[in-house]
Amino acid sequence: MALIKLKHINKQYDDGFVALKNINLKIESGKFYSLLGPSGSGKSTILRIIAGFSHPSQGQVLFDGQDITDLDPSKRQINTVFQNYALFPHLNVFDNVAFGLKIKKMPLRKIKPAVKEALKMVRLSGFANREISELSGGQQQRVAIARAIVNQPKVLLLDESLSALDKRLRKEMQFELRAIQKKLGITFIFVTHDQEEALSMSDQIFVLNNGEIQQSGTPVDIYDEPINDFVARFIGDSNILPGRMIKDYEVEFANQRFKCADAGMRPNEKVEIVIRPEDLDITEPDQGKLVVTAQTQLFLGDHFEIKALDTDENEWLIHSTNACSLNQRLGLYFDPEDIHVMRKHESQADFDARLESYEEESNVQ
Amino acid sequence: MKKKHFFAKIYLTFVLIMLYVPIFYLIYFSFSSGKNMNKFEHFTLAHYQTLFLDNRLLTIFLETILLAILSSLVATIIGTFGAIAISNLNKKGHKNTLLAFNNVLMVSPDVIIGASFLIFFTALGMGLNFGSVLLSHIAFSIPIVVLMVLPRLKDLDLALIDAARDLGANNFQVFTNVIIPAIMPGVFAGMFMALTYSLDDFAVTFFVTGNGFSTLSVEIYSRARQGIDLEINALSTVMFLFVLILVLIYYLMTTKKGKRGKRMLGGVVK
Repeated sequence: MALIKLKHINKQYDDGFVALKNINLKIESGKFYSLLGPSGSGKSTILRIIAGFSHPSQGQVLFDGQDITDLDPSKRQINTVFQNYALFPHLNVFDNVAFGLKIKKMPLRKIKPAVKEALKMVRLSGFANREISELSGGQQQRVAIARAIVNQPKVLLLDESLSALDKRLRKEMQFELRAIQKKLGITFIFVTHDQEEALSMSDQIFVLNNGEIQQSGTPVDIYDEPINDFVARFIGDSNILPGRMIKDYEVEFANQRFKCADAGMRPNEKVEIVIRPEDLDITEPDQGKLVVTAQTQLFLGDHFEIKALDTDENEWLIHSTNACSLNQRLGLYFDPEDIHVMRKHESQADFDARLESYEEESNVQ
Repeated sequence: MKKKHFFAKIYLTFVLIMLYVPIFYLIYFSFSSGKNMNKFEHFTLAHYQTLFLDNRLLTIFLETILLAILSSLVATIIGTFGAIAISNLNKKGHKNTLLAFNNVLMVSPDVIIGASFLIFFTALGMGLNFGSVLLSHIAFSIPIVVLMVLPRLKDLDLALIDAARDLGANNFQVFTNVIIPAIMPGVFAGMFMALTYSLDDFAVTFFVTGNGFSTLSVEIYSRARQGIDLEINALSTVMFLFVLILVLIYYLMTTKKGKRGKRMLGGVVK
């Protein structure tokens, strides 16, 4: 049973700008979702519509089967952790966290243990009497989370909540958020433009661009089987080349034919192929499936990023743990499963259906 | 470097002396037993004695303060809501028009405002008394409060309002729990400004005050026309001390009360 359902949501602003086009999505109870997309993709607009701060031009928002499209945000069982935390500067930590409970006229003797519990959950026990201005960014972030979860919402919305933190703290908070979500067992919907963040935390990711959902799926699905070149480029680095499907399980690109793991397309259909840079292994030139010449090399700490050209002047991005010398001829080796074939303009429904059809087939074989 | 510092100090001292010498001159002669300020005769408190026996002047003094407090309170309430209304306007053109109307009242000379109030009140057939003075003081204080509160509203983080609504607050609760605390420093600043404007005002009051009621500034003016009495000096001394104590209390409130107090009142003293 879906907890939240968005049905045919469109959002057009007064100036004519279309922020969302026919958004349909289902949010289930107790899972960690991410809305991932570049700025201006409409991900925050979706969040604001779910929270109730913004109303869709068309479409319906269902919560537990009830239509809440026009319900005031104060009456929704949803709480938000805002981008810049939006903590009340005139209140201390305790009063900030207690805000929602005081509004609900809960007696103080019940508020105190609830706030204590929430602060313990975000590891800020003993900070109750601090002023907001005395806290670091990470601590403010935790107060914002405590202020939201103390109301025991069914869904917690997080709007780019980690983007203001430095990289180390962000990593730490990613683990912590995931732990809090597991512990509370409530649904988290996390908006981010950071693909790494989305991949590491989510059960399910919605990739958005230009107000449309491009693809939804588990992090592994989205990384391994991007539906189009936008998703492939946005999620991780990738080599994208034009190619031609010769027949099922055989594709041609860079003027050579390769075995691959994709099927279900018309013979000779023009396609795009994706190979992730970390799936390319460097070998001797005579052992490789492709021969390239190294052009530039960057050391990125845990690996080298090598850019190389093949004989057709296609550029290849390679991640390698070992350095190579420039202008050296390298052999590139990859397995058939490393090649991912994308059809042009394929919708997610068609994509899923095609994947299912030949996966069943291969299971039978 | 050091020399520069030295000249800066000299300059500052000079300016302070220029500002305070007339006041101290006045205070000095309030203790003189003479009839005028030509020559200090010998020390006496006689002028203070006459001052505290002068019931008319004391009544006017108290009424002036009552007028200032009442008018600044009412003007603060009206001005704050006015500022909120202006900042809530969606169309930029409307906002600027209203602001321009607000500012015209600020810059137009007191004489004109006073004269127009006089014409207005007579046209309505209202008597000139405490009520007419109070109304006009409220009226010229409102634009000041609006100007003091508006920047605070502009700086208000809209996410705070969203956050309060998200936590279940209705419009009234958002107003009392989020907007009011956020603009409080501006409201306080506006109220103090309105208070001083009301205490200060001579021109407007002069026009709209009738037989039964007078403020200190008008009263002192009419007495001074018959030659300065040293009782006025005594009154000035008392008022100077009164204001000094007010400022000191205010200063202690803003510095000693810790961060929370500072935030409540911060920004009033710049």
